[in-house]
Amino acid sequence: MAAIKWPAAPTTYEDDVVLAFTIAAVLWSLIGMAAGVYAAAELVWPALNLDFAPLTFGRLRTVHTNAVLFGFAVSALMGTSFYTVQRTCHIRIFAPNLAWTVFFAWQLIVIAGAVSLFMGANAGKEYAELEWPIDIAITVVWVIYGVVFFGTIAIRRIEQIYISNWFFGAFILVVAMLHIVNSLAIPVSAFKSYSLYAGAQDAIVQWWYGHNAVGFLLTGGFLGMMYYFLPKQSERPIWSYRLSVLSFWAFAYSYIWAGPHHLHFSAIPEWVQTLAMVMSLILLAPSWATMINGIMTVSTARQKLREDPGLKLIVLSLAFYGLAMFEGPMMAIRSVNIISHFTEWTIGHVHSGALGWNALITFGCFYFMVPRLVGQPLWSVRLANIHFWLALAGVMLYVLSMWGAGITQGVLWLSLDELGQVRYGFNEILAALQPYYLLRLLGGSAFFVGAILMSINLFMTISGQRTVTVAPPTTSMRSPAPAAGTP
Amino acid sequence: MVLIRPQASFVALSEAHFSALHVFVRLALWLGMMPPLCAYVGMTKHGWQLGTVEPLMLPKVTIGVICALYFFALLFGFISAAIIGRWMAGTYGATRDLGAHFALLVVVGAPLVLGSLMHLYPDVFLNLLVLVPCLIWSMFLLYRGLPIVLQTTPEQGMLMASSMIGYLFVAFVSLLGISVCLWVYGIGPRLGV
Repeated sequence: MAAIKWPAAPTTYEDDVVLAFTIAAVLWSLIGMAAGVYAAAELVWPALNLDFAPLTFGRLRTVHTNAVLFGFAVSALMGTSFYTVQRTCHIRIFAPNLAWTVFFAWQLIVIAGAVSLFMGANAGKEYAELEWPIDIAITVVWVIYGVVFFGTIAIRRIEQIYISNWFFGAFILVVAMLHIVNSLAIPVSAFKSYSLYAGAQDAIVQWWYGHNAVGFLLTGGFLGMMYYFLPKQSERPIWSYRLSVLSFWAFAYSYIWAGPHHLHFSAIPEWVQTLAMVMSLILLAPSWATMINGIMTVSTARQKLREDPGLKLIVLSLAFYGLAMFEGPMMAIRSVNIISHFTEWTIGHVHSGALGWNALITFGCFYFMVPRLVGQPLWSVRLANIHFWLALAGVMLYVLSMWGAGITQGVLWLSLDELGQVRYGFNEILAALQPYYLLRLLGGSAFFVGAILMSINLFMTISGQRTVTVAPPTTSMRSPAPAAGTP
Repeated sequence: MVLIRPQASFVALSEAHFSALHVFVRLALWLGMMPPLCAYVGMTKHGWQLGTVEPLMLPKVTIGVICALYFFALLFGFISAAIIGRWMAGTYGATRDLGAHFALLVVVGAPLVLGSLMHLYPDVFLNLLVLVPCLIWSMFLLYRGLPIVLQTTPEQGMLMASSMIGYLFVAFVSLLGISVCLWVYGIGPRLGV
């Protein structure tokens, strides 16, 4: 076997681009959450759409999901993956100019996406609403992102590829595959196309994409984030590195089958539904293995917990991760799904994951990363602690109100009278849900206010500062790789 | 006392020693009966109010079965949470005395038991409106009381309370899932499934 040629000692890490992604993610979180809160208010007071097409619920809701998913979550993942891959490979990022290209191009894509959705252009696929010209741009930028990330792995100065990079790598590869396959379409004009697939096949491909976007972006990508920042923040090695590798492969294998559980009781073959249900249940094992690994890692870091408000958010995010990863497989069981499907319970489930897991772990990582990027302590620890309680109360109120609404909806839709006829009309059921929508609005608003406090805190920390120059360690690369779990 | 001056109660609890059986028979069992009893009275008298004009009225036998299952689910939740807590105690440097875990859960669950009086009028939304603040109160008591009653540091207590919340979330959502399955298989409201 040919000897590995280690690159020359690097200069410094490229952290300006990381900071740029962080600022963009914070801004998108505010925009996305503002759109979400406004859309939630429209469900309580429909007149708030002002009879203005771009403000109608159908358009605003897609702007909300696109802004938080592609603006906030992906920007956060791109930024933290560049931060992580440099530090776990002991090398400056591969092709920093390409990294900056990814930054500017991705922000333009999200802006173009939001504008097109406001204008009413919509491909009609959930989480893949953007029309074909933007889809092509996403593909190009994503490939460049992959080149930068895997290029850095290729020139790494440490033999071992740290577990975070496996998760980030799977996120990049699988999202590319999902996006390209699901977006194949026949354009009929500059802003309209039709899916290449038809009927049940289209539905299966769409939910293979939709569920694995949740799986590999909102789960896999964020697990990459967790496996780097949790040990760093708690200053403890991962409780079991072996478990993290095992759960990675189990996660990657089992997640990809689970999509059709979104199509229970539909026209797709029953065996496909059953397979999806069974694989969803199996998925619980690797998910909880990761949660246990995280909790056990932090379990002895008592001193850090006292000093670091971000660590509290990460610990709480693990509890919500455990909840969401239990609730999802449970809702994939057909006997539960028959009641829960199409109800607000699903919305509650999505938000226990999106707010409780994704947003909280990102906020926790930002509280850790931003002060280190600019070499300043966090502007206000007290404000961060207030953010913690607002986030907890907000997500609780949101999830509980949606559980109540979902159960109400499911039972009322399916209730029969003595003659076996549907007992309640659609309007009556909709009216019954309004109080829950008000509670959800309160919960979402509390969470949004917490995010505003965090933004103020982070911007005050960054204000007037320059990114600190950090050089990678200069140890010999032929020395053994660092002990497992110590990036 | 527990609801008005929780801090003092937690300190008193940590200094006293209770046997698990004592706490269970004298307190938990009776407190656990309150929510199903209130639900039984409310559902037979007013029906199940889901926000529509007409309430869902169920036969008394069905209501009895639902409330009995509710009671056993609460007991299971209580005992399993205590056992899980005792198991976690080894990791977080807390006491492994089962009596202390039972006592803590009684205190933490007290606001929810109080809130369950709302079951006397089983309007789902009103119940949610009352029980959500009670739940937040309970969580506050858990975070505040756990390190004192189970004799660990505040930081370890915070971690353990977060882990407990994770377990309790899962237990609650399991209860939701089991209930839905029972409805689908004919125990509960008449559904077209």
